[in-house]
Amino acid sequence: MSKQLICSLLILLSTSLLTAQELRLRASVNRNQVTDQDRLTFTVDIEGVSDFPDIPPPESPDFVVISGPSHSSSIQIINGQMSASKTITWQIAPTRTGQLQIPPISIRYKGKSYQTNAVPVTVSTARTRAPSGAPSAPSADTPAPPATSDEVILRASVPQNSIFKGEQLLVTFELFFRNVRAYDVKKLPEAQGFWVENYPVNDRPVITNETLNGVAYKKAILRQMALFPTTTGELTIDPLVIECEVLVSNQRRRSIFDDFFNDPFFGDPFGTTSRMVTARSAPVKIRVQPLPEDGRPAVFSGAVGQYRIESRIDTLRTRQDQALTLRYIVQGAGNINALQLPPPQLPNTVEVFAPKINKQIDNSGKTIRGTLTYEYVLIPRQPGLLTIPAIIFSYFDPQTRRYCQLPTRSYAVQVLPGDQLATRSTGLNKSEVAMLGQDIRYIYRNSSHWQTRGENVLYRAWFWGLNSLALLIVLIAVGWRWWTDKLATDNTFARRRRAWMLAQERLQPLGEDHTALDHHLCLARWQQALVGYIADRLGLPAAGLGQRELTSALQHQKSKPELIERTARLLEELEAQRFAPTALTPEACQEFFQRTQELVKQLSRVL
Amino acid sequence: MKQKSILCWLIVWLWTVPVWANVAADCERLFEQGNAAYQNEDYLTAINHYEAALHLGYESGEIYFNLGNAYYRNGRLGLAILNYERAALYLPHDANVLFNLQLANLQIKDRVTSPPQFFLIQWGQRLVNFWPARVWAMLLTVAVLLTAGLFAVYWLIELRRGRSLLKGLIGAGLVVASLLLIPLSLRQRLEQHPAQGIILSPGVSSLAAPQPGSTELFIVHEGTKVRLLAEDGDWYKIELLDGKQGWIRSGDLGRIGHSDP
Repeated sequence: MSKQLICSLLILLSTSLLTAQELRLRASVNRNQVTDQDRLTFTVDIEGVSDFPDIPPPESPDFVVISGPSHSSSIQIINGQMSASKTITWQIAPTRTGQLQIPPISIRYKGKSYQTNAVPVTVSTARTRAPSGAPSAPSADTPAPPATSDEVILRASVPQNSIFKGEQLLVTFELFFRNVRAYDVKKLPEAQGFWVENYPVNDRPVITNETLNGVAYKKAILRQMALFPTTTGELTIDPLVIECEVLVSNQRRRSIFDDFFNDPFFGDPFGTTSRMVTARSAPVKIRVQPLPEDGRPAVFSGAVGQYRIESRIDTLRTRQDQALTLRYIVQGAGNINALQLPPPQLPNTVEVFAPKINKQIDNSGKTIRGTLTYEYVLIPRQPGLLTIPAIIFSYFDPQTRRYCQLPTRSYAVQVLPGDQLATRSTGLNKSEVAMLGQDIRYIYRNSSHWQTRGENVLYRAWFWGLNSLALLIVLIAVGWRWWTDKLATDNTFARRRRAWMLAQERLQPLGEDHTALDHHLCLARWQQALVGYIADRLGLPAAGLGQRELTSALQHQKSKPELIERTARLLEELEAQRFAPTALTPEACQEFFQRTQELVKQLSRVL
Repeated sequence: MKQKSILCWLIVWLWTVPVWANVAADCERLFEQGNAAYQNEDYLTAINHYEAALHLGYESGEIYFNLGNAYYRNGRLGLAILNYERAALYLPHDANVLFNLQLANLQIKDRVTSPPQFFLIQWGQRLVNFWPARVWAMLLTVAVLLTAGLFAVYWLIELRRGRSLLKGLIGAGLVVASLLLIPLSLRQRLEQHPAQGIILSPGVSSLAAPQPGSTELFIVHEGTKVRLLAEDGDWYKIELLDGKQGWIRSGDLGRIGHSDP
């Protein structure tokens, strides 16, 4: 009784705090499959207001009220928001068998009328019960829970049964229960032909009240999975099997607080025993359609969902042989795992390494999202303008049922000639490596050795001149040696060479203080010069040469007869004048000298 | 008659000397302007001045070295190496030229290693490249003149002692002179008909035949030294140090040597 008192006090206190809210009414039974011997608990929940209106009992000829109403009310403060609810319970019994209905209860509250829902109840005579409606019922091979209070239903729900290949399908496993304290997953659902991405499992699932076929249940979402079909055709999601610990209340007087304390996730219940019940969801059949053929781009590689792509490059101005990083980032919702990007079409002057692919999948939201990063490392090997063309990423959007194509940016990277000292590090020996840090030596400030461009030394005069000079030296030396040897050894040769000089020596003109003796002496010397010259040149013995011998020798030399005659006449005249008693006049003497000199000159040309 | 022609040559020579001096002064001026531009880090202007000086028809190891430096600073590795190689023809023992050439060669893409050569051939090549043809010709001339002088002494002067020594010297002189003919002729051929070149384009496809569409055999990169085997129109047949042969366009190659335009 004290509990009720405290509760009433709480309600009184709280009424002032509660604000006027929308009134919600809900009617339910503890089970809707009963026999005509059973009793039903009919419950009406009122939520939203603090001053609860009176609820009349259900009025139907098919049911009789056995006990009640019993009231229980609660106030909850969640996140500072207060809500109040009241539960009014009747024990009713059916009066006949068949498909019965507990009619709605109408009330008026603050000038407005509200109505509860109608609750269908099947009343049978036999004690056996057929399993309830198709997808939400436990499968047939599971023994149905014998007691109504421990009934648990595991349901796999999908938003649609027909999807495209690669499209995301959200599967939710919901547990409908009344008194379950704990559960344990026995077998996870298998989904052949799907890429499965699990949503995180909450250890303490949020429990909501829900009516399934008119019966009030508590509902907990145990597990959510995103499935992406990888093939087409009819696919099956296998059941999830769990084992639940179900609380069975003992035959003791139920207090209105029992429900509160019997909450399965709330401590140890009062006077209850637990039982293990296995529940499994029904297999779900999914029809997977292939992606439409028309309008499919050539570059399409199987991406389904909603995406956007961007590209990034770390620099647009680099040096030759220095690496630059090119990133393609795809973000969006869909089958991230199946994404593939086409490689960029790069020129041959760039060395491209295999891309580093990074996938991040985010399962915290309603749909599976993710980021796919392709990181290319490029090393330009030639200076110049490097053009990185755009790549086109294509995906199929299942919402609009169309293919989309997204181009990335294209880049023009300016590649400067490399810092070549740093680049060549291979194939160098130790001394070459030591040179790498050095710079070139400075220029020459002056140039001393200018020469004709393309000079050919074989066309230079000095080369040939000096070499000819050497030859000349040799020839002169040889010639000189020959000459001196000849002079020394050959008498005739020597006389011939000396003939002219000797004749010139002898041919001295008459002096100033000339006497008769001198005249004769001079004439004799002149005659001697002429005769000696001819003898020397012709190699004749000088002594005892008469005029006749000379003439015949000259004739033998085939000299001109006129010259021979002149020679003979001059010799005769000289001979005659030498021994003449009178002295010659100086003029005549001079004439003799000139004639002799002239003759010697003429003879030297011939002999 | 003979005296007249000698006089004629002398006049011609005396007349050309001032012209030569004038052109050389222009060269010198352009060279100095190039140096000034180089010092101001205006490498393009420096290149223009040096090239203009070379166009006047005179050259020197120093100007090729400076031009190579200017091209190096300008990032034209192939032209830099080509001019260092030309400088090395004139200044075969210049440490700066050899250093810069080695440094530039470190940066070329192709690292073609030549198969090891017989050491005698290596020594021979080193000996031939020791001096330019001019120096070899001078040495030959000196040897010939000395031998001729010794011969004249032997032939004209009646020496009482050392005649056999003199004879030996003359024989040695003759042997040296005829031996000097070998490096002179080899070096002369190297200079006048350069059979080596430097790739000037960043990357050149070497083809199997001197036709634009023929099979690509290999790619040579800027700065690589190649041997020239044949010419066909504006195509050169090249051979890499490792023996690979192919045809490339003549514009992609710079020949090392004086007569290169």
